Amino acid sequence: MSALTKSLHPDEKYKAGKIGQSLTKIGAGIAVVFLAISVVLGATHGDHWKRFLYSYVIGWSYIFSICVGVFWLVLLHHLVRGRWATVVRRVAEAMSMAFPIVFVAGLVFVIPLVAGYTDLYYWAHPDAAKCLVPAATGCHEYLNPTLVHKLGWLSPGFFAVRYVVYGVLYTAMAAYFHKKSREQDDSGDPNISEKLRVASGPAMIVYALITCLVAFDVLMSMAPKWYSTIYGVSFWGSACVGAFAALGLVVLGIQRTGRLTHSVNPEHYHDIGKWMFAFTFFWAYTAFSQFMLQWYGNMPEETVWYKYRLFGDWQWVSIAILVGFWAFPFVFLMSRWTKRIVPSLVFFAVWQLVFHWLDLYWNVMPSYDWLRAEHDGATLVSGPLTGATALHHVGFSPLDVTVWIGLIGVLLVGFGRNLRGNLIPVKDPTLGMSLAHENL
Amino acid sequence: MTESHDHDHESFDGGGDADVEEGRLFGVLAEYDTPGELVEAARRVRDAGYTDFDCYSPFPVHGIDDAMGIKRTILPALVFGGGVTGTVGGLLLQWWCNAYNWPWNISGKPTWSIPANVPIAFEATILLAVFTTFFGMWILNRLPQVWHPFFRNERFNHATDDAFLLGIEARDRRFDPVATKKLLVDAGAISVDNVHLDPDPTAHHMPKWITAFIVASTAFALIPFAIAAKARTSHSAEPHIHIFPDMDFQPKYKSDQAMDLFEDGRENRGELSGTIARGSLNADDLFYRGLENGQWTVNFPKQVELNEQTIRRGKNRFEIYCTPCHGFDGRGMGAVPTRVAAGGGAWQARNLVDASNPVAIDMPNGQLFNTISNGYNTMMGYAAQIPFADRWAIVLYVRALQRSQNASLEDIPTDHRSDMQMPEAPSK
Repeated sequence: MSALTKSLHPDEKYKAGKIGQSLTKIGAGIAVVFLAISVVLGATHGDHWKRFLYSYVIGWSYIFSICVGVFWLVLLHHLVRGRWATVVRRVAEAMSMAFPIVFVAGLVFVIPLVAGYTDLYYWAHPDAAKCLVPAATGCHEYLNPTLVHKLGWLSPGFFAVRYVVYGVLYTAMAAYFHKKSREQDDSGDPNISEKLRVASGPAMIVYALITCLVAFDVLMSMAPKWYSTIYGVSFWGSACVGAFAALGLVVLGIQRTGRLTHSVNPEHYHDIGKWMFAFTFFWAYTAFSQFMLQWYGNMPEETVWYKYRLFGDWQWVSIAILVGFWAFPFVFLMSRWTKRIVPSLVFFAVWQLVFHWLDLYWNVMPSYDWLRAEHDGATLVSGPLTGATALHHVGFSPLDVTVWIGLIGVLLVGFGRNLRGNLIPVKDPTLGMSLAHENL
Repeated sequence: MTESHDHDHESFDGGGDADVEEGRLFGVLAEYDTPGELVEAARRVRDAGYTDFDCYSPFPVHGIDDAMGIKRTILPALVFGGGVTGTVGGLLLQWWCNAYNWPWNISGKPTWSIPANVPIAFEATILLAVFTTFFGMWILNRLPQVWHPFFRNERFNHATDDAFLLGIEARDRRFDPVATKKLLVDAGAISVDNVHLDPDPTAHHMPKWITAFIVASTAFALIPFAIAAKARTSHSAEPHIHIFPDMDFQPKYKSDQAMDLFEDGRENRGELSGTIARGSLNADDLFYRGLENGQWTVNFPKQVELNEQTIRRGKNRFEIYCTPCHGFDGRGMGAVPTRVAAGGGAWQARNLVDASNPVAIDMPNGQLFNTISNGYNTMMGYAAQIPFADRWAIVLYVRALQRSQNASLEDIPTDHRSDMQMPEAPSK
């Protein structure tokens, strides 16, 4: 018998119980072990922590992007009065409450930057503002003509201030939606849903702006001379692929403990899979838009970013991302059944979580090699993405992976701390429709 | 028709009018109160083995496909095929146009390049996938269906409003006038009606005038295509047909038209002899014509400041007006000669900096200026585009270019010679 709404199954276990604490312990264990290994590897890498911090920025962007993606689902479903996601919305709310821990973890690269570390971001390096010809006639030719006018925005102090603002805004928004949702569990007041819907509009605007800015500041400024206005959107697309994959895996993990077994069914996994599929294509669409306009325009200040990714070692990583992050999952996730058969969905979720990391790696690591050039007897650092492409190598380090896994541990701590109380919003007015959800 | 047609009316049906002549029994139509009851009834009808039945509701009812035992549609597979056809077709179209049938050199870019073809291939994919979805849905649902025997039942009008209906056709091999109705009532029907065909067989066909209208309008719509096809293969001395004349034809004269009003038969009026337009005197031979005592000057007029700023201005103008033919280095292989060479030709512009054939190097400044102003051989004059001072700036820049293109290491100040070396290998 089909119906438009259902009530919660009487035998449903929807209380979190101890799984939150268990997840926190597991996450803390992973974080401590792998970050300790990373610190040892980083200290012995012989480059004054440069590799460690590069890997850390990639890992941090990864855990940040998962939070960004799941929080978007929360905002979107309030904004459009979505129904299907109500049974997984509390989990998404709890996951997005990892924002404060994520932003504390990011201080590991922000504090050195403010304290004067110059090897992470080239714009923080004193040579970024130097003249090419320090002639007596005046300084009108810069070493970095397209960078000098950006140095007002890209300065360590202002960067740190913005970082704090981003952290506070994300945390405040996520906390508000999480807190109000739990309030409704107690009071059952339907007006709370209405309040959250009204709040979700402005929140979505703030969210969109600061998500773009974080992408510009943390990731894109790794190649500070480069220009791209779609970069933030493309990062967000990649982030949402990873976030929906993570959400599917977390919900499935909760079901494995015997909870939510009646409420979440293949219909909901199907929709999570649909979003994963949609963002796989959305990311490819924006990434290709960025590529094609710059490739066709063929202007040096734009093509420089792709020059070091399409030639030399990095071209193989580029091809791997094109095939692995887009073509393969795109073709196979198109089918209804790959999204509804849970083991298949799990396969693609894990697959996309790995390739989402590779995508971020590919965004950051080509900037790792900095060249030097002689000018008037002085040796100046000309920064990332300069010199012959053959001089730039992928140069994989075990650090890249250990830091990544360690930071995933940090993210799990953030998830676990908030997996408590009810795992579904039991008194949400749309819960019945979510429970009865069917894909036509 | 016959007398034996409608004794079954009395048992359940209160809505039929027994006095009206009825045709053959087409089927029974049952109404249910809620979508849930409709789904349940569909399940029972399917379980009883019926196949020729259908459900009618104002909105899509979740679970009805499963209850009716309808197989999943093959539309997604068709759409996939349509999409792939679009991708391949889009790529083939571009390859045929750009690389095979009419290869055209655009700024030296390759005629066939996958990244440039992606947007078109993408749009073609979407277009064909959407067409397949739209028309495939119509065809698979056997639409448009302009008439159905159930339309004769008054309840059916509510199928697009508030009624949930289930109809079983009499041709179903399990159909029985009594048992089928009982099944539907047991499943919770609030009413069950017999539906008969119209006794007049012509009522089952589309009226002839509609058919005639469709044929006529289709034929009419083909006329523009026929005219276009004829125009493709014939010649005509007649002017184009102006459907919308806008303001194309106006009672006025344009430059260089013939005109009876003046003696010389021309519409143009030249300057009156013995007069000169305000600001056009240009008496300074040196600045305006590059002449000094009737000879090409080897100097620059005093209005031109010989400094770096003027050279930069000259470079800027040179790279706008001169480089398309003479090239950035002045050696005569700009974009235009490059394209000529790509097309198999062998023309190039004057090499301005060639020390082995120093025509342009030996030219006096005044002659260079005059060449820019009035042209030389196939080169047109740029007097209309480039102001006098800018022409002199270009002359100055050409002099700088001639010097720099024939420079030796001794020309570089000693403290700048190290800049000529290659940068070092990377440091990590």
